[in-house]
Amino acid sequence: MILGKRCGVRSLALLALAIPLCASPAHPAADAEGELIVALPDDTTNMDPRIGMGSIRSTYIRQVYESLVDVDARGKPVPGLALSWKAVSPLAWEFALRPGVTFHNGEAFNADTVLFNLDRMFRRNLDRWGIKEVPAGTSFEKAFPFVTRWERVNDLTVRIHTSDPSPTLWDFIGREPLVPKDYTIKNGVEAVNDRAIGTGPWKLVEWKRKDSMRLERNSAYWGVQPQFARLRLQVIPEAGARVAALRAGQVGLVDAVPPLDATVLARDPALKVVSSPQKLHCRLYLNGRLKDAFDSGGRDGLFTDSRVRLALNLAINRDAIIKKVFHGYALANVSPVSSVSSGYTAQEPYPYDIARAKAMLAEAGWRDRGRGVLEKDGAPLALQLLFPSKHYGQAFDEVTLAVAEMLKGLGVPVTIRPIDFATLLQTVTKGTLPYDGGFTSCRTSNNLDADDYLRDWTALSLINWTPYPPELLELYKATRRELDPRKRLALLADLQRNVRDWAPIVSLYQEIKIYAHSPRVVNFTPLTELNMDFRGVALTK
Amino acid sequence: MPRFLLRRLLHTIFVVWGVVTAVFFLVRLTGDPTALLVDPSATQAEIAHMRHLLGLDRPWHVQYVDFLFAMLRGDFGQSIQQRRPAMQLVLEHLWPATVELAVAATVLSTLLAIPLGIAAATHQNRAPDHLSRLASLFLQSMPSFWLGLVLILVFAVQLNGLLPAYGAGTWRHLILPAVTLAAAPLAQNVRLLRAGLLDILPQDYIRTARAKGLPERLILYRHAIWNTAIPFLTVTGLSVGFMLSGAIVIETVFSWPGLGRLIVQAIPGRDFPVIQAGVFVFALIFVLVNLAVDLLYAVVDPRVRLS
Repeated sequence: MILGKRCGVRSLALLALAIPLCASPAHPAADAEGELIVALPDDTTNMDPRIGMGSIRSTYIRQVYESLVDVDARGKPVPGLALSWKAVSPLAWEFALRPGVTFHNGEAFNADTVLFNLDRMFRRNLDRWGIKEVPAGTSFEKAFPFVTRWERVNDLTVRIHTSDPSPTLWDFIGREPLVPKDYTIKNGVEAVNDRAIGTGPWKLVEWKRKDSMRLERNSAYWGVQPQFARLRLQVIPEAGARVAALRAGQVGLVDAVPPLDATVLARDPALKVVSSPQKLHCRLYLNGRLKDAFDSGGRDGLFTDSRVRLALNLAINRDAIIKKVFHGYALANVSPVSSVSSGYTAQEPYPYDIARAKAMLAEAGWRDRGRGVLEKDGAPLALQLLFPSKHYGQAFDEVTLAVAEMLKGLGVPVTIRPIDFATLLQTVTKGTLPYDGGFTSCRTSNNLDADDYLRDWTALSLINWTPYPPELLELYKATRRELDPRKRLALLADLQRNVRDWAPIVSLYQEIKIYAHSPRVVNFTPLTELNMDFRGVALTK
Repeated sequence: MPRFLLRRLLHTIFVVWGVVTAVFFLVRLTGDPTALLVDPSATQAEIAHMRHLLGLDRPWHVQYVDFLFAMLRGDFGQSIQQRRPAMQLVLEHLWPATVELAVAATVLSTLLAIPLGIAAATHQNRAPDHLSRLASLFLQSMPSFWLGLVLILVFAVQLNGLLPAYGAGTWRHLILPAVTLAAAPLAQNVRLLRAGLLDILPQDYIRTARAKGLPERLILYRHAIWNTAIPFLTVTGLSVGFMLSGAIVIETVFSWPGLGRLIVQAIPGRDFPVIQAGVFVFALIFVLVNLAVDLLYAVVDPRVRLS
């Protein structure tokens, strides 16, 4: 990851060969036997990647487990457990596996490992392997039903067949962390979760739930090793306590520094503050479903007209939000795709223009008929705004309240209903969002390609409250069929522009993740992914 | 005494059964955990599959009967979030972390309260009394998260890591969270003791003891203080129960791996088995601590007859 940048290697193939060779020399004053303590706001609930990889879990899981496709500090795909991957026909992909890789228990990584993991991902042959199914966050067989079968070409080559062309197969299959086959069969899927054994740069030593995870360097690691011996991922839930522990020298690196603290810490010469845009993209979702697609009480969603949604987008002062709430640590990205995803195309920002927004509402038929509210066919334009308070953090809550005020400035009364995250999910799962309802939430992705975001408006799901109109659905399907990278990028750009104009959501901000660390920590580069990477990182004495 | 214990044992079983039954249905009324476990792009079919895997698609009464029989075997099921036995998770957080912290804070708040309460009562309306009342007011009115952060800033940051800012494991880790947790009960105990002694010290039997020439120290420790013991025990029993059932704010600020944070995180995560196992343990702790307090009443006051 960090390595790709340091070595200056551009070509994927060259990089694949270069990775083992580019192991950077030890830092002159490196403490090779030292321990880095990293303060995180929460523990992972699981180590088995099949259960789920979202949010903070990725930082824990990806230290131990690795995937076929790795990622560099800029979010670009680089070889991981696969040296290369290519479409060998419109309906087949081939992964060439890295030779000589072993799991922490000595089990060899090879084509059989990949086939076993594909069986687990797509819930096939579980009886044959004698393992239980785990309740998984992503149902591969339902999300990617066009993946039909997989086969071993030789000990280090795997071929995956599809019924339709699939240009992103390298991503949704390739980014899934892989577990050892024999170990899982022998010890059961519980062992994958409790006593994780991977191929990654760190071996799990001890996991005290809700407290800390201790890891030691995998000296047999195939790639660039961390230049310190032990890593402790320490849970410190309170942000103030995390920062205090750093200032006291009791931790070396702090995750999730609040923006306000970052501005203060940045002035402290004894500390370093680093940041990177993340995939967390926060939005206001609006009920734009037709009445047959939710528990509607016989009414269409109030926000089915894209002109209304566009008007709401024009009423949001994103620059003020980023300046006042995030102190600059956020991006105003109005593409539906995160700015660090593969295939992202920057879109023209929505101007903050209340007059134009009002004109757009008038054009859509919403007018004030002397009663102080915008009306159409006798019904008022209003928003019941559900928001998961204290789930995404204080800044998110503040933004939601600011957005409500901005919409009121447009003449749209907003009723705020703070609820817990589980209740919000249940509401959208059951389809009981009010017809004039909306909710603020954040979207992230474990994948690298833009497709993961653009898929949101296809099948009805928790977050799809404005399904694609037929022409955009066709355009989306075209991006899924096109195997030529250049043509596909053009299609993705076209789709993003169209989605921006069609405005299924009111985009709010994209997060910039902030870390602070001691000057003893050298070469730490934040990723655009959800996890942290300590390969090549050194501790000085 | 044996009849009393038998009656209380039956009472304990009834209370614990009532509490876990109420919790079983109440947590299900709050909703379904399935949506928290799937990707946001999951379709209804995927969600239904997940519900089936978790056994949540069965009728409530079937789930309840299964739960009761499993509970009798000590099986509270697997944590939905963490995929480990729920009771094991709860016990891991109860012992040693929560018990250590609760015991340390109780000892601190009780032992310090006795001299401070006596000093305040025996020096009524003089400097020690004013000082003690002021300190009690301060400790009781200060939010514990604020006190905790100030202690971290002073003892971990300003004093160059004199004490650890987070975590558990050694007696040094215990000091700051125990002091923070003890602050409010200590203030409460001081006020309680002071008020009790101020009631007792003017009474006739104390005057008689003084008239007989008994030393003041003997009067205080042998005749006066024991008569404040009943309310003191009642309040201490309640605060021990609360401390053992977790001190969420202190656990969060000091990253203390106790029971409170486990349960509080299980609630928004709709982790039914962990909530049920946790509440079972809480109920048991409260009932047993109350029983212990009732037994101690008889020890400190012979007029109380347990039969």
